[in-house]
Amino acid sequence: MTEAELKPDGGAAAELSEAALSELLDQCEDQFAALEKLQNEIILCEPDFCENPQEQSVNRLMATEAELKQWLTTEPASLSANSEVLLQAGKEEMLKLCSELEMVVSCCEAKRDKLKETKELEQKWLEEKKQVLLAASDHVERLQAEKETLSEYSVLQDTKEKIQKIKDYQERLMESLGDILEKHLPLPQNESSSNKKKKNIELELNEDLISLNEILEVLMNKVLKTPHDPYVTIDDTFWPPYVEMLLRYGIAVRHQENNFKIRLETFF
Amino acid sequence: MSLLKPFSKLPALNTANILLVESEEQFQQSLADALVKETGVTVNVRLAKSLPLPMENEESRPRIDLVVFIINLASELSLKSAEASLKYLDPGYFLGKVCFLATNARNASVPTERLDAVRKLAALLHCPLLFAEDQTPDGVANATERLLTILKVAAGLVPMATALYLSSLTQCTVPPDIDQPSFD
Repeated sequence: MTEAELKPDGGAAAELSEAALSELLDQCEDQFAALEKLQNEIILCEPDFCENPQEQSVNRLMATEAELKQWLTTEPASLSANSEVLLQAGKEEMLKLCSELEMVVSCCEAKRDKLKETKELEQKWLEEKKQVLLAASDHVERLQAEKETLSEYSVLQDTKEKIQKIKDYQERLMESLGDILEKHLPLPQNESSSNKKKKNIELELNEDLISLNEILEVLMNKVLKTPHDPYVTIDDTFWPPYVEMLLRYGIAVRHQENNFKIRLETFF
Repeated sequence: MSLLKPFSKLPALNTANILLVESEEQFQQSLADALVKETGVTVNVRLAKSLPLPMENEESRPRIDLVVFIINLASELSLKSAEASLKYLDPGYFLGKVCFLATNARNASVPTERLDAVRKLAALLHCPLLFAEDQTPDGVANATERLLTILKVAAGLVPMATALYLSSLTQCTVPPDIDQPSFD
């Protein structure tokens, strides 16, 4: 409490006149003398020991009360009688205050900008959440409407429709498969009008040959009918190039032990 | 046993003296380096591992305006050492001239009991409790700034403010339900 007195800063005196400066120094010396006197008094005082915190609290309370009393009794006095000194000190204080306030402003501005950013982000989130909510409630509404109109009969009808659709699709697939096979892989035939070399080879063809179409059908049927033994024995009716083609493109697989047996590749 | 007293010596002009007490001597040095860079006043930093201070430096030691106990929350020893050192301070110091600086509070391995113990200790002694990050330069700069603010008041360099007055406002308070088990 005792040394809380203000000591005018020495640096401020640079622009002061001689008279003001000496006056200020005198004042400082007076203050320092008072301080020394108080210091001696403190040292002479017997310190009262208080180890436990309870007493320390009391101690603290007493000190605070004393300080309060001092503040109440202190007459507000001007720093110095010299107006020049006052002006200088005031100027300095103002400048300090200004720089501090500027710092506060920049701090506030930074905070504000940050809050703005946060706000924008939050608003974006809110918008997104709103859209999600809208979509979800839409979905709920649709489901509810469906639930109301749904009956056993309509479910049956729906399923039937789906089955029909799949059947149609399968038919279409089979048809186009047949078309392709017919168009691009016809049954080898004796072409009498062709050139002589070819004619000689084709003459050897077996008359009982079946088409690729039929080969595939036989393979598929075998797989479906006897899944435990899907192998089909190759006989004279299978045209060897077609068998070779099926094997080469991975549509059919040869039996591991019997070369004359093939089966459809397991596609499923 | 020699007590460290707040008013045993004359103050020097425009000077503030701070004593950093840290048993591990890790944060002290970087903090001291940052503290002495202050230009407004002359800051003298004294370092100590624990109190009491050795007798041989008694004469050259300036008047200590602020005693800072640096407590590393990750170590039990740090807290124990600070507690033991407190006995060697004059009661006059506890009128606003002591402050606790806790480091490593962010560390997940710190038991909450130790943090609570530090808070209780600070609250019991009516001292402010500061938290600091000692690993980053920013953390050191922040801690320095806060300590300087308290130090200037404690050294009587701020007109119209006293250490007791400031500490009444900044002293650590402990919530009354600190001993209740928390539910989070």
